[in-house]
Amino acid sequence: MARLTDDRTAVDDRQLVAEVLAGDPAAERRLYDANVDRVYRLAYRLTGDPDLAQEFTQESFIRAFDRLETFRGDAKLSTWLTSVATSVVFNGLRKVKRFRQREVDLDHAAPQADRKREAEPDLKDRLREAIDGLPQGYRTVFLMHDVEGFTHEEIGTALGIQSGTSKAQLSRARAKLRGSLAAFAGGTGS
Amino acid sequence: MMDKRSDEQLDKWIAEQARSYHEADYLPREEMWAAIQATRRSRTVRSIRPRVRWLAWSVGVAAILALGMGLGIIMANQLSDSGPSVTTIDMVPEAGPRESRVSTALAVATTEHLAQTETFLSLFRDAVRSGNDSHYAGATARTLLATNRLLTDSKISHDAALKELLQDLELVLAQIAQLQEGSWEGETDLITDGIEQRAVLRRLQTVVPAGTPRGALSL
Repeated sequence: MARLTDDRTAVDDRQLVAEVLAGDPAAERRLYDANVDRVYRLAYRLTGDPDLAQEFTQESFIRAFDRLETFRGDAKLSTWLTSVATSVVFNGLRKVKRFRQREVDLDHAAPQADRKREAEPDLKDRLREAIDGLPQGYRTVFLMHDVEGFTHEEIGTALGIQSGTSKAQLSRARAKLRGSLAAFAGGTGS
Repeated sequence: MMDKRSDEQLDKWIAEQARSYHEADYLPREEMWAAIQATRRSRTVRSIRPRVRWLAWSVGVAAILALGMGLGIIMANQLSDSGPSVTTIDMVPEAGPRESRVSTALAVATTEHLAQTETFLSLFRDAVRSGNDSHYAGATARTLLATNRLLTDSKISHDAALKELLQDLELVLAQIAQLQEGSWEGETDLITDGIEQRAVLRRLQTVVPAGTPRGALSL
């Protein structure tokens, strides 16, 4: 049954792409509507900033429309779009990080005070810190798999890694998070 | 408490808690779509504009050169009708009134040609520098190249400096004329490098300073 669904998705994807490439504006909108929620949510998860998420989502679709003829149908269109989006987000974040680092270099006293104020964070803060503290690869796989529901195959295709690597990174991410959040789990868990 | 909880259960609990991590509560769907459309439209306009500009150039250059060359032919015919046949075009100062009129007509066409070539090459160089599509310049370059060869073979090229300039222009125009869609991008850079190295634009500006009246070629 899953195989049948995949085949249907592949046909639908190819049909939609063909219509977009033929210049059908309604098909462009359909492609956008079908994927924007997923792309934006992932961009927001990875950036934590609504403006950046919006900018990266827009750029992802612009780039996807520009390069749509390179979509060969090997993966689902949504996975291909996720691949474009993660590339846009990571490249964009590198630029933002460089820019922000320059700002911090110019005014480096302020962040120290903020950190000290968080001496006893509540669960939400601790969770955020723990996830933020993960290496980028672990964090991305954890958010995509455990939070956004991507499969390891989809993650592998989107990030250009083996699905086994995705599984290994998720396992390490979970172990790190368990270590950071175990203290909260006893009183807060179901 | 922690020992009783398996890793699996803990992972599940963490994943549930993590749903609040950077959770989007609003999707600016229409704003983003409008921005995407606007950006794509502006990029399309940018990619079309150079084609339109080159096309307009092609038509403009052809019209002006036809006018200039036509003027020379008409004047030559007039001379031919009114006296002995003129087989050569001479620019020597001692030429008689009829030859002088032919020379003036040729000088008009040459001035027009050099002025048009200068503007064309400036436009081409700017297009390459700004990353716009320059392959559409080929048609205009071919038109200019044909005129350039006519002038190189004419008596106007008795002037050594002008002859050298026309020969350098032929090289550059021939390179641009061979550009096609899909040509290697580095080709356009090589051509603009050649323009710079031969100081083609500066020499053109010296020969045809801004505001030079037609025919007033400073040879």
